[in-house]
Amino acid sequence: MLIMWRRAGESFIAGDAEIQVLDYRGDRVKLGITAPESCVIVRRETRITQQQNISAALSADSSTIETLLRRFPGNVVSGPEN
Amino acid sequence: MSTVQTRFFDELEYQNEALFCFPAGLPGFEDHRSFVFIKKPGLEPLMFLQSLDDRRLCFILLPVGAVDRNYRLELTEDELRELGLAAERKPVVGEDILCAALICNGDTDGPSANLMAPLVVNLHNNVGMQVIHPESSYSHRHPLLPREAYAPC
Repeated sequence: MLIMWRRAGESFIAGDAEIQVLDYRGDRVKLGITAPESCVIVRRETRITQQQNISAALSADSSTIETLLRRFPGNVVSGPEN
Repeated sequence: MSTVQTRFFDELEYQNEALFCFPAGLPGFEDHRSFVFIKKPGLEPLMFLQSLDDRRLCFILLPVGAVDRNYRLELTEDELRELGLAAERKPVVGEDILCAALICNGDTDGPSANLMAPLVVNLHNNVGMQVIHPESSYSHRHPLLPREAYAPC
């Protein structure tokens, strides 16, 4: 992993994208990204969720249902209390 | 009463209360906005989220409370607003909202639940969204079976 320190206002280039550190507050960093439209920029957790959703759709079949019903026999829980 | 073609149950009749709109779709399926929630006697606590537009697209869901009875859902102000929920009052699961995890059945690890990004639907206006909370410490692949059940032979 390449590691670098940047101050607010400084930037770096990744491929065709320029990423600038705009501000930081506590444990959060505000970034500004300038990139061509063809460059897909997505939060990591959104990408993970996309992939997980696609796997979920592809793997939804009757054998999965049977496996789950053995693990979760009916009438378990109403839900969390919050 | 309307009907929907489903992946698992052929043609089903559904009430309007079972029809939910996801204005942003789901990540990976952004074009699918209308889904029918299906519960079947004998199959609970499993639930099914059937796309109204594509009979092949149906997610298997479990209430988050069935996966982790201590599950804590924290919604941001933006999420509450998008769902049409009041910011002043914490929504009650089962009364105001439904919260369910999508189930994925991996080839090697067995079924898992995405507790990092549960589906939340507002039961008052039938609007839903998938909320993504990487800071929550919940896994996007929470295992549902003991790991040894899938150990290589």
